[in-house]
Amino acid sequence: MLAFAFAEFVQQIVSGLATGSIFASLALALVLIYRSTNVVNFAQGEMAMFTTYIAWALMDRGLSYWPAFLLTLAIAFTGGAAIERTIIRPFEQKSALAIVIVTIGLLIALNGAAGWIWGAEVKAFDSPFPNTTWDVGGVAISSQDVGTFCVCLATVALLWAFFNLTPLGLAMRASAINPTTSRLVGVRVGWMLALGWGLAAVLGAIAGMMAAPTVFLDPNMMLVILIYAFAAAVLGGIDSPIGAVVGGLSLGVLLNLIGRYVDFIGPELRLPTALLVLLGVLMIRPQGLFGHAVVRRV
Amino acid sequence: MRYVALALRLALLAAVVGLIALLPRYASEFRLSQFTFVAAYFIALAGLNILTGFSGQISLGHFAFVGIGAYTAALLMLGRPGLETYGLDPPGWLPLGDGMRGVFTIPFAGLVAGAFGYAFGLPAQRLAGVSLALATFAFAVSLPLVAKRFEDVTGGGGGLALPLPSTPFGWDISTRHWLYYEAWVAAGVIALIAWLLLRGRAGRALAALRDGEIAAVSAGVNPTAYKTFAFGVSAAFAGVAGALFAIEVAYVNPDTFPLSQSILMLASLVLGGMGSLYGVLMGALIMQFLPVYAQTPPLLPGSFSKESPAVVFGVMLIVIMFIAPDGLVGLLRRLLRPMMVRLKRHPVATEDATFGTSRRAET
Amino acid sequence: MRKALFTTAAVAAAALVVTLPGALAKTRATTGTAATPGVTKSLITIGGTFPLSLSPAATLYAPIPKGMQIYFSWVNSRINKGDRKRGVYGRQIRWKYYDDEYNPAKTVQFTNQLLLQDRVFAIVGSLGTEHNQAIRPMLNQRKVPQILVSTGASEWGTKTKQFPWTVGWQPDYISEGRAYGQWIARNAPNAKIAVFYQNDDYGKDYLNGLKAGLGAKRSLITSEQSYEATETSYASQIARQKATGANTWVLLTTPTPTGRALGTAKALGWKPDTIVINSVSAADSVMRSLAASAQVGADFINGAVSTAYLKNATNPQYAKDPWVRNYYRVMAKYGPGLDARNGFYYYGFAKAYDVVRLLYLAGKNPTRASLLAATKKMNWVNPYTIKGVRVKTSARDHFPLSQFKLIRWRNGSWAEFGPLVKGR
Repeated sequence: MLAFAFAEFVQQIVSGLATGSIFASLALALVLIYRSTNVVNFAQGEMAMFTTYIAWALMDRGLSYWPAFLLTLAIAFTGGAAIERTIIRPFEQKSALAIVIVTIGLLIALNGAAGWIWGAEVKAFDSPFPNTTWDVGGVAISSQDVGTFCVCLATVALLWAFFNLTPLGLAMRASAINPTTSRLVGVRVGWMLALGWGLAAVLGAIAGMMAAPTVFLDPNMMLVILIYAFAAAVLGGIDSPIGAVVGGLSLGVLLNLIGRYVDFIGPELRLPTALLVLLGVLMIRPQGLFGHAVVRRV
Repeated sequence: MRYVALALRLALLAAVVGLIALLPRYASEFRLSQFTFVAAYFIALAGLNILTGFSGQISLGHFAFVGIGAYTAALLMLGRPGLETYGLDPPGWLPLGDGMRGVFTIPFAGLVAGAFGYAFGLPAQRLAGVSLALATFAFAVSLPLVAKRFEDVTGGGGGLALPLPSTPFGWDISTRHWLYYEAWVAAGVIALIAWLLLRGRAGRALAALRDGEIAAVSAGVNPTAYKTFAFGVSAAFAGVAGALFAIEVAYVNPDTFPLSQSILMLASLVLGGMGSLYGVLMGALIMQFLPVYAQTPPLLPGSFSKESPAVVFGVMLIVIMFIAPDGLVGLLRRLLRPMMVRLKRHPVATEDATFGTSRRAET
Repeated sequence: MRKALFTTAAVAAAALVVTLPGALAKTRATTGTAATPGVTKSLITIGGTFPLSLSPAATLYAPIPKGMQIYFSWVNSRINKGDRKRGVYGRQIRWKYYDDEYNPAKTVQFTNQLLLQDRVFAIVGSLGTEHNQAIRPMLNQRKVPQILVSTGASEWGTKTKQFPWTVGWQPDYISEGRAYGQWIARNAPNAKIAVFYQNDDYGKDYLNGLKAGLGAKRSLITSEQSYEATETSYASQIARQKATGANTWVLLTTPTPTGRALGTAKALGWKPDTIVINSVSAADSVMRSLAASAQVGADFINGAVSTAYLKNATNPQYAKDPWVRNYYRVMAKYGPGLDARNGFYYYGFAKAYDVVRLLYLAGKNPTRASLLAATKKMNWVNPYTIKGVRVKTSARDHFPLSQFKLIRWRNGSWAEFGPLVKGR
């Protein structure tokens, strides 16, 4: 009996890690944009959803999974960079609040556009992982979940390597922290910003394509995930990719455990309770788990 | 020169007040109902203006306080605070009777919402920038869910149906006019309070905190007190707006206070022009009319907007930001005052400080 | 500073004092055109509100008003064989609808716009239970017909005495839930039932109906789990349901969560013997999409049970049905480029048929009162519904549609089985 209960406990954790990986993937995109341009991109989820629809449309026209996947990433990259150059660039020197409004406008427009172009009916989305489920001691682990988790870890590893080991990554970090000095040193700051958005759009597309098989494709699929991703990113430290992943995974597990074991809260309060826990953590450590404390000069 | 400027400002004020007072004479019943909402939005945005515009704390969840005010007003109007279910009794001095008249619920709604705002502001102090934005975001997301949960009090998902509004005390004035004046008189009172606050010590302290917190603290400004004060006052204003909202719509349920309305509030305030009460008024007009125009935009063929009002709306937000990054009132200011240097960049310390990291080069 | 304050206050007060009496002097009457609003010699204007954007719960219903529009366009252009006129007795139907973002406060505002600015004759087909509840008192007070609302809440039929101007349309959720309960009680008396429902009035209505239908066998329910529209993952709840050992699974959800739930169950390695899917989620296109997907697959949903009252336009059984063919023809003509296989267009189409019948029944010179009277004596067959279903209302029966049939998913399509079920 105890073994049974324990298996269920592990199951909740495993499922939590799976959902958490989805939050983490989108959170990574948010963190990337923040690190490279100091902006919170509220449209990140919708950009991810839109690019996932593009992937779906490509596959609907006959392309098989991997070519569609790669083509979508390329389109996402170009789209993200284009958005930065056209819509975001004019506001970068002005207030952050203006960018918040612009990204919100973008969110709304993309949401409507997806519904208009492809319809709001739910669609199934292929998964690159074989559709198997393993039973490990009473705990069901699906290959989709494992795959999403691994992709998430691989992404954060690649990002870390990019930012810390490559000259391009270094240049991007420099342009975010200190654009003027970076220019003096020869960094093309404008390109770095566009690159940041392009890469983030790619991450978003990956997040969308990892989520769509289980969440199913509809124009609103990312609206809710964005809330979780935002929370996860801030929890982990808005400028830390590792934090985003830790934040996302913790949030996923936390949600599941609260839902399973704290019954008196009721189904409605799962999300608020998780958010409350998050905010509690933030109060103790305002910069997030892995974030850098902000030093403000007087 | 100074008196000319002052005279112009007074004339503008007189014109606005006059327009508002005279509108019922010339406008249709439907327009009046729309402008009643504008009054409610004006009050709520005046609150957000104090919080975000003056005290620099970005709130992505302000409509939740409107929701709290609306639920308070609704419960009072129905005469059943529902607190008995949780073993609490409504206080004896509360003139509940069978249900309070709408207009009397307004101050209560403001107080309750203000209390929530203050309670929220106390811990929220420790957060800044993105974390604070997340906290307000979380609050807005949670409110509808909490309302659903405590359905004995709030009516849950089904909500609370309120009695349809009617002119009180047997006055000889149509209901529509009554609601309109009720809303705008409240707006006038709030505008006066807001104006006095911001011209006074509180406003100066908040602006000082916004522009340079460390300097302000060393000058003796207590950040905790003023920041929580800002939260409390802005929430109270939102609560008042919520009561008006409940009276006008005569129905409250969790779906009436979604996150999207909070976002719309912030967007409207920025688009209208943060900082001045005229900007707030413009923002209120935007908040009421932009969603309506998005569905029947003047220049586009009707069928496109039917398919996707959201696309039109989102694009409009972006376009207006392009044309008027300081808000429409800021744009008007710039156009009407050619003496000002056209390319003057407004100091951006406000918003940057709230996001925590400096965006400019610290060379 | 003080002087400025005084002066400003004085000016504002002066402006107010000067203008206010002028404004109050003429308090206009709020209602009162003698002629019937929305009806002219050549035009009938009707309107409704629908969630068209920004709502995870509901934008999938956006095709409904469009389907209605297309039907009305067809009626406006075809010549009635009886009186050789286009439209209804020669009047064109003008259909207006607005997006209320699934927010009842906006429903109120836009319904006001329809009434006062667009001056509609009646509010038709507005979507959403709470949304219709929000506008119901106001419409009843103003004596405006609120007809054929797009929701299956039972109260449109049970509260007619209180709100006579409000009329429902589709079979209500409680009846449908009851049918499932009765079927399970009859056919699987020892089942262990798990119920997964949406945590709102829609899901709860279904659940109450299910329990009522199960009757004494209510105790067979081993697990009731719900979800919020704000969640995207139900693994936590479904894992619990699996852990109770249930073998019958009743899904009282909307289409997207249905797909997620089925996929999750499969991923968790749980395959209940019997799956019941509520009618809203059992749209053909959704089922086919799920069957074709790897996450769910045809095997998993083979044998699933649901109910239907409308003909299934994508089912081969109705491929030669003249009315279904008419549907596709009209859709192609007036809505080129739209995916006519989406069941929600069909829903709108079928509803619009009843709207037009009602308008005819309201007479050659319709008034709001005559339209209301018409809703109390509906009695015809809507050719877009399945055989045996009759649109009927009377002094005692306030549910226009209350009959449906059980259907089973077999090898790629729904098949009706069993007798016609009387919901009410």
